[in-house]
Amino acid sequence: MGFLYALVAVGLTIIWGLMEMINFAHGEFLMLGMFGAWWLSVTYGLDPLLSIVPIGLAMYGAGVLVYRLLMRRVQRGDPFTQIFATVGLLFLIQNSAVAVFTSDYQYLSNTLLTRLSGSNLHILGINVGVPLLIGALLALVLFLALYFLIDRTEFGLALQATAEDREAAMLVGIRPQRMFAVAWGLGAALVAVAGCILANFFAVSPQVGFPFTVLAYAIVALGGFGSILGTLLAALVVGVIQSVTTVYLPPAFKDAFVFGSYLLIGLFRPQGLFGRF
Amino acid sequence: MAASRLALGAGLVLAVIYPILLQLGGYPFYQTIGFLVLLNAMLGIGWNVIGGWTGQFDFGPQVFFAVGAYVAALLFIHVGLSPWLGMPVAVLVAMLVCAVVTYPLTRLRGHYFAISTVAIWMIAQPIGATWEFINGSRGLFIPVETGQSTLRSIASLQFAGRTKALGYYYAALGLFLLALALVRLVERSKLGFYFRAIRDDQEGAEGIGIDSRLYKVIARCITAGVFAAGGVLYGFWALAVFPEQVLDLNWSTLPMMATVVGGIGRLWGPVLGAVILIPISQIMSTTLGTGPLAGRGIDLIVYGLIIILIAALRPTGLLSLPWSRWFRRPA
Repeated sequence: MGFLYALVAVGLTIIWGLMEMINFAHGEFLMLGMFGAWWLSVTYGLDPLLSIVPIGLAMYGAGVLVYRLLMRRVQRGDPFTQIFATVGLLFLIQNSAVAVFTSDYQYLSNTLLTRLSGSNLHILGINVGVPLLIGALLALVLFLALYFLIDRTEFGLALQATAEDREAAMLVGIRPQRMFAVAWGLGAALVAVAGCILANFFAVSPQVGFPFTVLAYAIVALGGFGSILGTLLAALVVGVIQSVTTVYLPPAFKDAFVFGSYLLIGLFRPQGLFGRF
Repeated sequence: MAASRLALGAGLVLAVIYPILLQLGGYPFYQTIGFLVLLNAMLGIGWNVIGGWTGQFDFGPQVFFAVGAYVAALLFIHVGLSPWLGMPVAVLVAMLVCAVVTYPLTRLRGHYFAISTVAIWMIAQPIGATWEFINGSRGLFIPVETGQSTLRSIASLQFAGRTKALGYYYAALGLFLLALALVRLVERSKLGFYFRAIRDDQEGAEGIGIDSRLYKVIARCITAGVFAAGGVLYGFWALAVFPEQVLDLNWSTLPMMATVVGGIGRLWGPVLGAVILIPISQIMSTTLGTGPLAGRGIDLIVYGLIIILIAALRPTGLLSLPWSRWFRRPA
């Protein structure tokens, strides 16, 4: 589970942690990804794992569009304008989905992963469901690819430079607007891809996004701003906290403990578990 | 100034008279819209204290809304205490809870504070749903006493039958005016200036001796008090307190949106915003009726668009537009 959370959170790491822009509609991109996967699977019989490619590309475009049309205008203003612009976006996307797909829960059946759902693997004496394992591996691969993109390539450095100091980045020939647009595109694409994978495990509905949004914020803050590996580790910690608390307490409390630990860490180690600054 | 005073007087007269006309005309439904407008305007006024003046984004005031609703309902059910007396108790309890919960949070700033208030709300939800003392997710029902005399139903804040909407409308109007007056008092007092100083420059405010953590807690407690009073009113209006209902995120997003649309950090901002936003939703749900688009969240799409437009084009809200210039000098 933790690996999938990592994939949800990493899109936010780029937008929020790295570029320091807030996005409350993050979970709605996830929801769009889930609906996209469901729709492609129902109408064209495309497996959600294959629909990662078209949906990722489409959502990259959507993310760039959101930046160009909306976020660019509110970027320089008070931080609260960003909050409200994206809260408005949340309402717009979520309820457009209600209008198009209705609020009913949709389930995916007969996909590659659901067909494997009976099988378990024994690793180090622990039972692991094969579908979850495949999902986790995919998430991990994407995650590492992103890590290398941001931390090891020239493009990634340009992205970080823009986040660090816009004017200085402009002086050395980086176009900040383009960098921000790419960051939004990447963030949206990643979380939509996470949605494609998650659609195998969760019922799809227009309201599915918001809980993931708050969870992603807790993870990014836990992992430390802008630290991509920190996000991965924090997501794993969150997955573990959830599984451990459900053993001892009613399942309703599993998120409460995640947020409780967020509060504790926020109070005593504000830079997060693995933060650099 | 004269023009705005005129508008104010006209608005007040309209607010007092319109439900009576509807009562005579037999459309009590539109009184309920007025009730919701006033309730959300009141909550928006409360939220403005922490969000608008102190500049701390609070996404979790619905926790105190719930505290207020529960405290008054419990006092009424177990002790038989009238909600009018239960309300001050509920407000005090909510402020106390708020102070205890908020003080540690004030170490966090900006987005981190905003998310920590969401975290508190996430923790409050399972507590509300499982705590047996408040009946868990089965909720509390407030017993109705029908056939009371008018005076007794005013005293117990229970209106039934044909005058239900009318009674709650005036109760909401009274509370709204009270909240407006109190918050106006705060705005013009030393407190209000401290709050705005913290918003504009926290280090600067600390430099001249303002304890920013203390005043953030005070600001949020005022917000919590207003939300608790709103919760009491809502609980008795709905005659039941369910955790998922009183802890609904809408109790913070709607007042917040109203504040931003009208003008954040302006006393009348949330009032204007609520007058614009709330009827949209109510009227849409009646006009769409049972048609193909009913219940599909069209009203919320409109809200989303309005908020996006305001944030992108005029983030300081509608009240910040140069109205007086437009009206004084007709071109």
